[in-house]
Amino acid sequence: MKQKIQPKDLITVGVFLAIMFIVCMGVAMLGYIPIFIPLLSVLVPLIGGIPFMLFLTKARKFGMVLIMSVMIGLVVGLMGMGVWVIATAPISGILAEIILKSGGYGSVKKSIFSYGVFSTWVIGNYIPIVVTRDNYFSMLVSGYGQEYAETLMGYIPDWSLIPLLFASFLSGILGALIGRELLKKHFVRAGIA
Amino acid sequence: MWAMMLQSRQGRAFLDPRTKMLLVITITSIVIGGGNGGAMNIIKPVLTAVPFLLFVVERKWKTAMTYVAVYIAAFSGELFLVPITRGFLNFIVVACCGMFSRFMPGIAMGSYLVSTTTVSEFMAAMERLGLPQKLTIPLSVMFRFFPTVGEEYSAIGDAMRMRGIHFGGGKPGKMLEYRMVPLMISCVKIGDELSAAALTRGLGASVKRTNICRIGFGVFDVLVMLICILGFCILIGNKCLG
Repeated sequence: MKQKIQPKDLITVGVFLAIMFIVCMGVAMLGYIPIFIPLLSVLVPLIGGIPFMLFLTKARKFGMVLIMSVMIGLVVGLMGMGVWVIATAPISGILAEIILKSGGYGSVKKSIFSYGVFSTWVIGNYIPIVVTRDNYFSMLVSGYGQEYAETLMGYIPDWSLIPLLFASFLSGILGALIGRELLKKHFVRAGIA
Repeated sequence: MWAMMLQSRQGRAFLDPRTKMLLVITITSIVIGGGNGGAMNIIKPVLTAVPFLLFVVERKWKTAMTYVAVYIAAFSGELFLVPITRGFLNFIVVACCGMFSRFMPGIAMGSYLVSTTTVSEFMAAMERLGLPQKLTIPLSVMFRFFPTVGEEYSAIGDAMRMRGIHFGGGKPGKMLEYRMVPLMISCVKIGDELSAAALTRGLGASVKRTNICRIGFGVFDVLVMLICILGFCILIGNKCLG
């Protein structure tokens, strides 16, 4: 299927971007309770799997997932969650795109795997906590007080980046499976997938 | 006086969409992620006041007042309640007050951007910035869609409440299904209609689109931009020194 991206596809990307964004924002608000910050790397991919699987049924051309990831990176990055996401989101996006392409955009297994890879973009949110730890810590202390800062830092030691990466990948797979189930149960029957 | 100034600009919005976008970026990156101390203590209140002034200029009194009330409540909570509480209660106070006082300015500015900019104006501004269509179309559809998703969500919430399905009724997994599935189905349908409508009006046609929106920079745009640039200078200075 060698077709160029049409304006219609770009509109589809925009629509799903809005859905993904609102859903993820709703979940990310939980991040204000310190214990939920590491948990977000599990929850966001898990919930995002439902809209994403539906999006994949409409994304059958090279570049749609990539554009989606670039936009997520830009919006999340510019909303003040740190600039690392602007870099990590397109990387995971292009990997996800390649996996999809290798399956000819039709393979169910490949698309589930692809969403797992796509989900690893959330790691960009944790990079500042680990890489510029002192800086981040002093910012937290000045903004939220000593107690909050110490609790949060206790939950995220330096080595945690790799488990978080795996966690986001695995929960992405799980989210994709849930999304797939819902897709079969509702969307195919309603005729929109 | 404001009304006359607005009218003298003959239908042109008070601020250029590009300035509004710059303001959103500045406010979110400085107020949410900027840290404290030094010149930050001056630029932060200034930026926090900007959405309020803009709401007043647009004569959205109610929004302006709500914004001020919530912000003052959160800020004084942070100032007075946080030092005197301990343990779990402290977390809750920090969470609530911190969330409101940090995110309110950004959210208010974002809603100002969305509510006072039409999609055409937004597209025109993006085109002037020279961004490729692959970015401008998804972005403007997204802005157009935020209010729609919100409306659909609350409508679905009403329907669910009427049938006695609500949070706290157990089964969070089922809750997710009951809300997400209708929401996505209606959003996809609306999206299809939107794209049909946009295509008939020549979006993405091979010719250059024209636009009747008058956008351009005025005195206020320059003023706001200076504040934003100053803010970023302080932010970078702070990061390098501290």
